[in-house]
Amino acid sequence: MSAVKEYRCPNCGAGVGFDPILQHWKCSFCNSEFNKNQLKTASDIKDNLDEPVEDLNLYHCSSCGAELIADDTTSATFCLYCRNHSVIKSRFSGRFKPEKLITFRITKEQAKDIYKKWIKKKIFAPSIFKNKEEIDKITGVYAPYWLFDCITNGYIEGQATRVRTWTSGNYKYTNTKYYRVVRGGNSKYSKVPVDGSNKLDDNIMNLIEPYNYNAITDFSMEYMSGFFAEKYDVEAHEAEMSMRKKVEKFIEDRLRSTVVGYSTFNITQKSINISDCAHKYAMMPVYLINNKYKEKNHIFIINGQTGKIAGETPISLLRQIGFGIGLALIIWLSIGFGGALFV
Amino acid sequence: MYKKLGFLLLSIIFVFLIGSQKLYAYESHNVKDYLNYLTEKEVNNLQRSIDKIKEKHDLELVIVITDDTEGKSSMEFADDYYDYNGYGVGDDHSGLLLLIDMNARVAWISTTGSAIVFFDNSKIDEILDKVTPYLTDGRYYNASKAFVNFVRSDLSYFYRALSMLFSLQSILIAIVISLIVTIILSISSKGKVTVDSRTYEEAGGFKLDVVKDQFIRETTTRVKIETSSSSGGGGGGGTHIGSSGRSHGGGGRSF
Repeated sequence: MSAVKEYRCPNCGAGVGFDPILQHWKCSFCNSEFNKNQLKTASDIKDNLDEPVEDLNLYHCSSCGAELIADDTTSATFCLYCRNHSVIKSRFSGRFKPEKLITFRITKEQAKDIYKKWIKKKIFAPSIFKNKEEIDKITGVYAPYWLFDCITNGYIEGQATRVRTWTSGNYKYTNTKYYRVVRGGNSKYSKVPVDGSNKLDDNIMNLIEPYNYNAITDFSMEYMSGFFAEKYDVEAHEAEMSMRKKVEKFIEDRLRSTVVGYSTFNITQKSINISDCAHKYAMMPVYLINNKYKEKNHIFIINGQTGKIAGETPISLLRQIGFGIGLALIIWLSIGFGGALFV
Repeated sequence: MYKKLGFLLLSIIFVFLIGSQKLYAYESHNVKDYLNYLTEKEVNNLQRSIDKIKEKHDLELVIVITDDTEGKSSMEFADDYYDYNGYGVGDDHSGLLLLIDMNARVAWISTTGSAIVFFDNSKIDEILDKVTPYLTDGRYYNASKAFVNFVRSDLSYFYRALSMLFSLQSILIAIVISLIVTIILSISSKGKVTVDSRTYEEAGGFKLDVVKDQFIRETTTRVKIETSSSSGGGGGGGTHIGSSGRSHGGGGRSF
């Protein structure tokens, strides 16, 4: 049994990849389309991923024989030479077998357009980011996520005021009523996502949320074909700590939102308890662009299902200065000529 | 003999005619030359320019040349002459009056209404700089013309635009605003947060168990409202009130 899995078109033998628009698999050569069942019978190999498979960092592309070097977390990749899609089975086996996934809905072209539109608005971005070559580097990747379910108990207590002012005669009156406000409640949270890859900056990954979970489906390796994929390198218990922080804020905000009819409210005490945590390992679609500017990596991430984009744009000092001077000139001239109209 | 008498009569009549020309003081509505320093043509020229300025800029100019200020100071005479003769445009009677007081040998400029602000003390000094040299030389038409021309060009759009452009204020304001805008635009966000406390909440999963709103205490305070007595006798610094009760600005110089 080979370590690398490739999905082939039963009609012409070329590589088959998942098409986000059709939500089916499409042969890049003869344009035939296949659904999941048809693909499974075609490849005809029983993949028992519940047993761990021997792991290697060096693979051979079964189409052209080239050596593929994968780094520790790469789970699906392309052959550099013949562009054949390969899925590295070991990376999806044993504890690395994902339970759920959301398929790509955005094509690579659409992702490029989203990025182009976004970077256009950033007027101080260095022009190299808007270059075609940079934009073409966009890659579709299945990112490893931990999805948590949990039950949370929250309790907040604080001081609230109701303020009323009125005027009578020569005086302005202020009446303040003070209250002790307590709220307690519980909530169930489902599929709270925490990114499981150290390679992907959490601050940016948080900004492409949320995914539409109506489209969540059971994992199957065929979906990986045509995309890159990464397995997790953040263990579930580590991810759970990030999840707890998120959920604590959720329940606190939720309870706060029930305190209405006051002018101010300050929390003096709070207690939150999170229990019954369950987690699932899932593959979620993202598009990545990694740009280097002045020795720093700037990563832009697009949600592969919803198209939401986030990222940190670098600022070109030259553009800033140019803009600043130009704007100052315009304002100066309009003060001069416009002001003379009114004096 | 009769011929000689005839000639004498004619020449006497001729002299009278010429003399009466000088005695008859030509004046226009805005140019009151009681000392006949200006010819009819010069008066008309000045009046025309003054009319144009009145039409274009809503300011009325008056020029008074006299040696009898009825015992008043130059300032008082100028203010009163303007007020009691009903000069001025609009409700605030905007305008300027140039008094050439040959008795005290003082040139005084009186401003009213919007002219007080626009022709402030430094502007008045500038006008006097241009006008008094002519007066010292006895060139009264040139002095009057300088007065009218200065006001006209000072009110012109381009002059005002240029002076606004080259003021330190506008340069500073432009730099400050541009700086603020650039900084605000540079704080470009990484992306919008579209997740709130309910995004991952299971439908119907939230239950409120404890709700307590306990009243603790109440306070009432009051603050006295300062009745703002509008201070400032309008018009800013350098103004005075004439006998008519109207405020004027102005300045003068001897020549």
